[in-house]
Amino acid sequence: MSTLTIQGLRVEVAGKEVLKGFDLAMSSGEVHVIMGPNGSGKSTLAHALAGHPGYRVTAGSARIDGVELLELSPTERTRHGLFLALQHPMEVPGVRPVDLLAAAGAPREGLAELMAEEARRVELRPEVLERFVNVDLSGGERKRAEMVQLAVLRPKFAMLDEIDSGLDVDALGAVARRLQETTTEWGCGVLAITHFRRLLHELTATKIHVVTDGRVVATGGPEMAEILEKDGYEPFRIGL
Amino acid sequence: MTSFADSALSLLDDRDASSDRRDAWRAFTTLGLPTTSDEVWRYAPLGDLDLDRFALATRADASAPSALARSLAQHAGLVVTMIDGELAEVSGELAGVSVTAEESDWSAHYDSDAFAQLNCALHPTTVTLRVADGVSVDEPILVVNTITAGASFPQLRVVSARGSRASVVEFLDGGADSLVVPLTEFDVGDDAYLVVSSYQRLHTSAWHIARSTGRLGRGARLHQSVISVGAHYNRSRNDAEFLGTGAENELRTTFLGFGDQVHDFRTRQFHKVGRTRSTLLSKGAVADTARSVYTGLIEIEKGAKRTDARQTNHNLLLSPHAHADSVPNLDIRENDVMCAHASSVGPLDELQRWYLESRGVTRPDAERLMIQGFFYEMLATLPRELAAVVEDDLGSTLGRLATVRA
Repeated sequence: MSTLTIQGLRVEVAGKEVLKGFDLAMSSGEVHVIMGPNGSGKSTLAHALAGHPGYRVTAGSARIDGVELLELSPTERTRHGLFLALQHPMEVPGVRPVDLLAAAGAPREGLAELMAEEARRVELRPEVLERFVNVDLSGGERKRAEMVQLAVLRPKFAMLDEIDSGLDVDALGAVARRLQETTTEWGCGVLAITHFRRLLHELTATKIHVVTDGRVVATGGPEMAEILEKDGYEPFRIGL
Repeated sequence: MTSFADSALSLLDDRDASSDRRDAWRAFTTLGLPTTSDEVWRYAPLGDLDLDRFALATRADASAPSALARSLAQHAGLVVTMIDGELAEVSGELAGVSVTAEESDWSAHYDSDAFAQLNCALHPTTVTLRVADGVSVDEPILVVNTITAGASFPQLRVVSARGSRASVVEFLDGGADSLVVPLTEFDVGDDAYLVVSSYQRLHTSAWHIARSTGRLGRGARLHQSVISVGAHYNRSRNDAEFLGTGAENELRTTFLGFGDQVHDFRTRQFHKVGRTRSTLLSKGAVADTARSVYTGLIEIEKGAKRTDARQTNHNLLLSPHAHADSVPNLDIRENDVMCAHASSVGPLDELQRWYLESRGVTRPDAERLMIQGFFYEMLATLPRELAAVVEDDLGSTLGRLATVRA
């Protein structure tokens, strides 16, 4: 059993504070969903935790099993069990997915077969993974290619930034089911960032956190999604 | 009279050389070696070039092919072995393809190019590959050009007759302390399709001053890749002349510079007639104190309407002491054309690197993958099995480079 603990996280982007004391704690096998309006800091959380060079952490901590991630390089954070599936994964021309994953630590033996199998599980044509990383992939294919990486690398905690955008209903269902399975297959903790409730049709949230203005303003169970659907984020803009 | 000139003249006498060769020699002596005050040679360390240091390669000694040449040969249907420009061996057979050693006089094609004139005077022979009318060759043709030492002047001609299809892979290796001045011509006939990939992997002490010219007939296609890793000074000029409408040239040039290498790439896409298309992609990386220059000229003749010419040059700087220059030029004498050029010089993309790191790839591995990737993209013209051999070889060169840098 592992734990991810984020405390008092403050992050600046281009000199402007976006996260203003973010707290969250979760354990293996749980599914936490972060919902919030545009500009509330949801994506900033994911990018800052993954060590994106454009995001500057000014205070706070993020630990997996007591190990401070913020002192580690992006590589080491991932090797300690944190994985980010991006909303807009970068193209890396000339690099093949299989070589990326081998360099990331996946055993070469059987890797191509594993990738093909994982591709099928998220309804991605396996031959798409023979192209260079994300080059000439549609938005939806990129999302599913991120899922293949996630499934091969088996992180302790997977953050997914707007994994549902750009996916049609069928693909979204496949991705959500695959995410749900990771929680039992290897006890993956899933931290999904989304605008939309539709991801929650197939993915059972342990907790839903509402984020506005850079911090968590409310936390609840799956019923929270219905409240958001009905009333929007306005009631949560407390003290603004 | 210098010792190089003495031996050149005695070689011309020994071979009972034609008046053409003697004319070319005279043209060379009249022109003299260029100097860096010539704009087109300004990046070349010509002050260090002393012809007298190089003995003329006279008779090719048999030499065992390198391991890399053998690996490439496994995937070729026909292997043509040249040693110092002599035709040494042809192994394998492909229907409709002939290989001959011929006499030719190209001197008039290169009036003001001193090195080309030197080649025209002193080349041992013109190794000529002919692909017959309408013949479609599925297996690649490999030309291994091994340089043993001294000064050598290889000449290669590929003639793709009307409607033929073929893929030629050229591999240049050896050449410690040598001067190598190859001249290559591709005659691509009407509706013929020729794919040529050259891998230059000479010893890093070599001078390599190469020039190739493609001539394209109506509807002809020439897809050419030039990949350069070796030589101390690597000069690679690649021209295409569009003689018939519908002709198309795709040229990819790429280099990896390390140590104090200089890579000097020149291209000229000369659109003499309309409805012709050229796509040029030049990519290179320089590490350590290496330097590179890319100078590309797109020339469009008056009346060559509906020409489509594109030129892209990307340079990767892998060290703060490395330097790359990019000089695209356009000479357009017709209005009804599509023309575009773009160039960039910079380090590895920080966000791409972060993306790889965020998958758990270490920084050195991420950089290695990206640099390899920069080159792998350029191997598209190579048949798959041969590309794999070249990829492995480039990978090991890059691996050594990474070790040296770390």
